[in-house]
Amino acid sequence: MSDLFFGNFGTDLFREFDRLQQQMSVLTAGRPLSLRASPGVFPPINIGSTDDSIEIVVFAPGIDPAALDVSIDKGLLTIAGERKRPEGAVHEDARSYARERFAGAFRRVVELPSTANPDDVQAKYNDGCLSIRIGKHESSKPRSITVQ
Amino acid sequence: MSNETDLVRRDEGTLAERDTPARRAALVPAVDIVEDKTGVTVWADLPGVPKDKLDVKVHDGRLSIEAEACVPTPAGLNVTHVEVRAPRYERAFSISSDLDTSRVDASLQDGVLTLRIPRREAALPRRIEVKAG
Repeated sequence: MSDLFFGNFGTDLFREFDRLQQQMSVLTAGRPLSLRASPGVFPPINIGSTDDSIEIVVFAPGIDPAALDVSIDKGLLTIAGERKRPEGAVHEDARSYARERFAGAFRRVVELPSTANPDDVQAKYNDGCLSIRIGKHESSKPRSITVQ
Repeated sequence: MSNETDLVRRDEGTLAERDTPARRAALVPAVDIVEDKTGVTVWADLPGVPKDKLDVKVHDGRLSIEAEACVPTPAGLNVTHVEVRAPRYERAFSISSDLDTSRVDASLQDGVLTLRIPRREAALPRRIEVKAG
Protein backbone atom coordinates (compact mmCIF):
# COMPACT_ATOMS: atom_id res chain seq x y z
CA MET A 1 0.00 0.00 0.00
CA SER A 2 2.90 2.38 0.65
CA ASP A 3 3.65 2.59 -3.07
CA LEU A 4 0.34 4.35 -3.58
CA PHE A 5 1.49 7.29 -1.51
CA PHE A 6 4.69 7.85 -3.43
CA GLY A 7 3.47 7.16 -6.97
CA ASN A 8 1.35 9.45 -9.10
CA PHE A 9 -2.26 9.66 -8.16
CA GLY A 10 -4.79 9.48 -10.95
CA THR A 11 -4.18 6.67 -13.39
CA ASP A 12 -1.97 4.61 -11.09
CA LEU A 13 -4.53 4.67 -8.31
CA PHE A 14 -7.31 3.46 -10.57
CA ARG A 15 -5.13 0.75 -12.03
CA GLU A 16 -4.37 -0.49 -8.52
CA PHE A 17 -8.06 -0.57 -7.70
CA ASP A 18 -8.69 -2.59 -10.84
CA ARG A 19 -6.07 -5.08 -9.79
CA LEU A 20 -7.59 -5.24 -6.31
CA GLN A 21 -10.97 -5.95 -7.89
CA GLN A 22 -9.44 -8.76 -9.92
CA GLN A 23 -7.72 -10.22 -6.92
CA MET A 24 -10.95 -10.13 -4.94
CA SER A 25 -12.88 -11.83 -7.72
CA VAL A 26 -10.23 -14.55 -7.90
CA LEU A 27 -10.53 -15.10 -4.17
CA THR A 28 -14.30 -15.33 -4.31
CA ALA A 29 -14.50 -17.28 -7.59
CA GLY A 30 -16.62 -20.36 -7.45
CA ARG A 31 -19.01 -18.81 -4.95
CA PRO A 32 -21.74 -16.95 -6.82
CA LEU A 33 -22.14 -13.47 -5.40
CA SER A 34 -25.55 -11.96 -5.86
CA LEU A 35 -25.70 -8.86 -8.04
CA ARG A 36 -26.50 -6.84 -4.98
CA ALA A 37 -23.61 -8.17 -2.88
CA SER A 38 -21.73 -5.47 -1.04
CA PRO A 39 -18.26 -4.78 -2.45
CA GLY A 40 -16.20 -4.95 0.70
CA VAL A 41 -16.64 -8.66 1.57
CA PHE A 42 -18.50 -8.13 4.82
CA PRO A 43 -19.16 -10.37 6.60
CA PRO A 44 -16.34 -12.87 6.03
CA ILE A 45 -17.38 -16.50 5.86
CA ASN A 46 -15.68 -19.78 6.62
CA ILE A 47 -17.16 -22.90 5.08
CA GLY A 48 -16.48 -26.47 6.04
CA SER A 49 -18.11 -29.84 5.88
CA THR A 50 -18.31 -33.00 7.89
CA ASP A 51 -19.65 -36.38 6.89
CA ASP A 52 -23.19 -35.44 7.71
CA SER A 53 -23.38 -31.66 7.57
CA ILE A 54 -22.16 -28.48 5.99
CA GLU A 55 -20.99 -25.87 8.47
CA ILE A 56 -20.91 -22.18 7.64
CA VAL A 57 -19.63 -19.53 10.04
CA VAL A 58 -20.41 -15.90 9.24
CA PHE A 59 -18.35 -13.37 11.22
CA ALA A 60 -20.83 -10.52 11.68
CA PRO A 61 -20.40 -8.74 15.01
CA GLY A 62 -22.84 -6.13 16.26
CA ILE A 63 -25.94 -7.40 14.46
CA ASP A 64 -29.37 -8.04 15.90
CA PRO A 65 -30.05 -11.72 15.10
CA ALA A 66 -33.76 -11.06 14.70
CA ALA A 67 -33.00 -8.68 11.84
CA LEU A 68 -30.81 -11.19 10.00
CA ASP A 69 -32.35 -12.75 6.95
CA VAL A 70 -31.08 -16.28 6.32
CA SER A 71 -32.84 -18.21 3.58
CA ILE A 72 -32.26 -21.14 1.22
CA ASP A 73 -33.65 -21.18 -2.27
CA LYS A 74 -32.77 -23.66 -5.03
CA GLY A 75 -29.51 -24.68 -3.43
CA LEU A 76 -28.34 -21.15 -2.66
CA LEU A 77 -27.98 -20.02 0.94
CA THR A 78 -28.43 -16.26 1.31
CA ILE A 79 -27.40 -14.29 4.39
CA ALA A 80 -28.58 -10.71 4.31
CA GLY A 81 -28.85 -7.97 6.86
CA GLU A 82 -27.86 -4.48 7.78
CA ARG A 83 -25.43 -3.09 10.30
CA LYS A 84 -25.91 0.44 11.56
CA ARG A 85 -23.24 2.61 13.11
CA PRO A 86 -23.48 2.79 16.90
CA GLU A 87 -25.25 5.90 18.19
CA GLY A 88 -22.28 7.73 19.61
CA ALA A 89 -20.53 7.70 16.27
CA VAL A 90 -22.85 10.03 14.41
CA HIS A 91 -22.77 12.93 16.80
CA GLU A 92 -22.44 16.48 15.50
CA ASP A 93 -19.51 17.63 17.56
CA ALA A 94 -17.76 14.28 17.42
CA ARG A 95 -14.65 13.88 15.31
CA SER A 96 -14.11 10.54 13.62
CA TYR A 97 -10.52 9.31 13.44
CA ALA A 98 -11.11 5.87 12.02
CA ARG A 99 -14.06 4.31 10.24
CA GLU A 100 -12.85 0.89 9.25
CA ARG A 101 -15.86 -1.14 10.36
CA PHE A 102 -18.41 -1.89 7.70
CA ALA A 103 -21.84 -0.27 8.07
CA GLY A 104 -24.79 -0.68 5.79
CA ALA A 105 -26.65 -3.46 4.06
CA PHE A 106 -24.86 -6.67 3.16
CA ARG A 107 -25.70 -9.89 1.38
CA ARG A 108 -23.62 -13.03 0.97
CA VAL A 109 -24.66 -16.02 -1.07
CA VAL A 110 -23.22 -19.51 -0.77
CA GLU A 111 -23.84 -22.27 -3.25
CA LEU A 112 -24.75 -25.45 -1.45
CA PRO A 113 -23.88 -28.84 -2.90
CA SER A 114 -26.69 -31.14 -3.99
CA THR A 115 -26.06 -33.31 -0.94
CA ALA A 116 -27.36 -30.53 1.31
CA ASN A 117 -30.83 -31.02 2.78
CA PRO A 118 -32.57 -27.62 3.03
CA ASP A 119 -35.09 -28.96 5.50
CA ASP A 120 -32.41 -29.64 8.11
CA VAL A 121 -30.93 -26.23 8.88
CA GLN A 122 -29.95 -24.75 12.24
CA ALA A 123 -28.59 -21.27 12.77
CA LYS A 124 -27.15 -19.79 15.96
CA TYR A 125 -25.77 -16.33 16.65
CA ASN A 126 -23.11 -16.23 19.37
CA ASP A 127 -20.59 -13.50 20.20
CA GLY A 128 -20.96 -11.96 16.78
CA CYS A 129 -20.62 -15.24 14.85
CA LEU A 130 -23.52 -16.76 12.98
CA SER A 131 -23.06 -20.54 12.78
CA ILE A 132 -25.22 -22.32 10.24
CA ARG A 133 -25.42 -26.08 10.11
CA ILE A 134 -27.03 -27.71 7.10
CA GLY A 135 -27.55 -31.45 7.29
CA LYS A 136 -26.85 -33.64 4.31
CA HIS A 137 -29.36 -35.98 2.73
CA GLU A 138 -29.30 -39.36 4.42
CA SER A 139 -28.61 -41.10 1.15
CA SER A 140 -25.50 -39.02 0.52
CA LYS A 141 -23.78 -39.73 3.82
CA PRO A 142 -20.88 -42.10 3.49
CA ARG A 143 -21.68 -45.58 4.54
CA SER A 144 -19.66 -48.74 4.55
CA ILE A 145 -21.00 -51.81 2.89
CA THR A 146 -20.35 -55.19 4.44
CA VAL A 147 -19.25 -57.86 2.06
CA GLN A 148 -20.80 -61.23 2.72
CA MET B 1 6.59 2.11 -9.14
CA SER B 2 6.16 -1.48 -10.04
CA ASN B 3 2.91 -3.04 -11.18
CA GLU B 4 3.75 -6.22 -9.36
CA THR B 5 3.18 -4.57 -6.01
CA ASP B 6 1.26 -6.80 -3.67
CA LEU B 7 -1.63 -4.46 -3.03
CA VAL B 8 -3.82 -6.46 -0.68
CA ARG B 9 -1.65 -5.81 2.33
CA ARG B 10 -3.67 -4.37 5.16
CA ASP B 11 -7.27 -5.20 5.59
CA GLU B 12 -9.32 -7.05 8.09
CA GLY B 13 -8.36 -10.48 6.94
CA THR B 14 -4.66 -9.89 6.75
CA LEU B 15 -2.33 -11.76 9.00
CA ALA B 16 0.11 -9.69 10.98
CA GLU B 17 3.11 -11.98 11.15
CA ARG B 18 5.93 -11.17 13.51
CA ASP B 19 9.57 -12.11 13.24
CA THR B 20 9.87 -13.63 16.71
CA PRO B 21 8.61 -17.22 16.64
CA ALA B 22 6.97 -16.75 20.01
CA ARG B 23 4.27 -14.53 18.42
CA ARG B 24 1.63 -16.35 16.47
CA ALA B 25 -0.14 -14.90 13.48
CA ALA B 26 -2.99 -12.57 14.38
CA LEU B 27 -5.62 -10.56 12.59
CA VAL B 28 -5.95 -6.80 12.89
CA PRO B 29 -9.54 -6.04 13.92
CA ALA B 30 -11.40 -3.18 12.22
CA VAL B 31 -12.09 -0.22 14.50
CA ASP B 32 -14.17 2.93 14.53
CA ILE B 33 -12.71 5.75 16.62
CA VAL B 34 -14.66 8.85 17.53
CA GLU B 35 -13.70 11.73 19.82
CA ASP B 36 -16.00 14.25 21.41
CA LYS B 37 -15.26 16.83 24.05
CA THR B 38 -15.58 14.40 26.91
CA GLY B 39 -13.31 11.66 25.60
CA VAL B 40 -12.68 9.00 22.99
CA THR B 41 -14.85 6.02 22.05
CA VAL B 42 -13.44 3.00 20.20
CA TRP B 43 -15.53 0.22 18.67
CA ALA B 44 -13.63 -2.92 17.58
CA ASP B 45 -14.97 -5.88 15.59
CA LEU B 46 -14.03 -9.06 17.43
CA PRO B 47 -16.37 -11.77 16.15
CA GLY B 48 -16.29 -15.07 17.97
CA VAL B 49 -14.51 -13.68 21.04
CA PRO B 50 -16.06 -14.52 24.41
CA LYS B 51 -15.42 -12.25 27.37
CA ASP B 52 -12.91 -14.57 29.01
CA LYS B 53 -10.68 -14.60 25.93
CA LEU B 54 -10.42 -10.82 25.66
CA ASP B 55 -7.50 -8.94 27.14
CA VAL B 56 -7.57 -5.14 27.17
CA LYS B 57 -4.46 -3.62 28.72
CA VAL B 58 -3.43 -0.05 29.34
CA HIS B 59 0.21 0.62 30.12
CA ASP B 60 2.41 3.67 29.78
CA GLY B 61 0.20 5.51 27.37
CA ARG B 62 -0.42 2.41 25.25
CA LEU B 63 -3.73 0.65 24.93
CA SER B 64 -3.57 -2.90 23.61
CA ILE B 65 -6.34 -5.28 22.63
CA GLU B 66 -5.61 -9.00 22.46
CA ALA B 67 -8.34 -11.52 21.89
CA GLU B 68 -8.85 -15.06 20.78
CA ALA B 69 -11.95 -16.23 18.97
CA CYS B 70 -13.35 -19.65 19.52
CA VAL B 71 -16.11 -20.89 17.29
CA PRO B 72 -17.39 -24.29 18.33
CA THR B 73 -16.98 -26.63 15.38
CA PRO B 74 -17.92 -30.27 15.17
CA ALA B 75 -15.32 -33.00 15.12
CA GLY B 76 -13.96 -34.07 11.75
CA LEU B 77 -14.63 -30.72 10.11
CA ASN B 78 -13.00 -30.32 6.71
CA VAL B 79 -12.70 -26.60 6.00
CA THR B 80 -13.11 -25.77 2.32
CA HIS B 81 -13.34 -21.98 2.15
CA VAL B 82 -11.54 -19.72 4.59
CA GLU B 83 -11.82 -15.96 4.77
CA VAL B 84 -10.93 -15.60 8.43
CA ARG B 85 -7.69 -17.53 8.74
CA ALA B 86 -6.50 -17.05 12.28
CA PRO B 87 -8.56 -16.88 15.45
CA ARG B 88 -6.36 -14.28 17.21
CA TYR B 89 -6.92 -10.53 17.11
CA GLU B 90 -4.34 -7.94 18.10
CA ARG B 91 -4.24 -4.19 17.91
CA ALA B 92 -2.59 -1.45 19.92
CA PHE B 93 -2.97 2.31 20.12
CA SER B 94 -1.01 5.03 21.79
CA ILE B 95 -3.07 7.11 24.17
CA SER B 96 -2.27 10.78 24.58
CA SER B 97 -1.82 12.10 28.10
CA ASP B 98 -5.00 14.15 28.17
CA LEU B 99 -7.03 10.94 28.32
CA ASP B 100 -7.64 9.35 31.68
CA THR B 101 -6.49 5.75 31.37
CA SER B 102 -7.56 4.88 34.90
CA ARG B 103 -11.21 5.31 34.00
CA VAL B 104 -11.44 3.24 30.84
CA ASP B 105 -14.83 1.61 30.40
CA ALA B 106 -14.90 -1.56 28.28
CA SER B 107 -17.84 -3.73 27.27
CA LEU B 108 -18.11 -6.66 24.89
CA GLN B 109 -21.45 -7.35 23.24
CA ASP B 110 -22.11 -9.62 20.25
CA GLY B 111 -18.47 -9.56 19.26
CA VAL B 112 -18.17 -5.76 19.36
CA LEU B 113 -15.81 -4.28 21.95
CA THR B 114 -16.77 -0.76 23.01
CA LEU B 115 -14.09 1.21 24.82
CA ARG B 116 -14.77 4.58 26.36
CA ILE B 117 -11.75 6.60 27.49
CA PRO B 118 -12.72 9.86 29.15
CA ARG B 119 -10.57 12.94 29.22
CA ARG B 120 -8.78 13.87 32.38
CA GLU B 121 -10.66 16.35 34.55
CA ALA B 122 -7.98 18.94 34.06
CA ALA B 123 -8.06 18.51 30.29
CA LEU B 124 -11.79 19.07 29.87
CA PRO B 125 -12.54 22.25 27.96
CA ARG B 126 -13.71 25.00 30.25
CA ARG B 127 -14.71 28.59 29.96
CA ILE B 128 -12.59 31.15 31.73
CA GLU B 129 -14.55 33.89 33.31
CA VAL B 130 -13.23 37.35 32.55
CA LYS B 131 -13.65 39.81 35.39
CA ALA B 132 -14.29 43.41 34.45
CA GLY B 133 -12.13 46.23 35.83
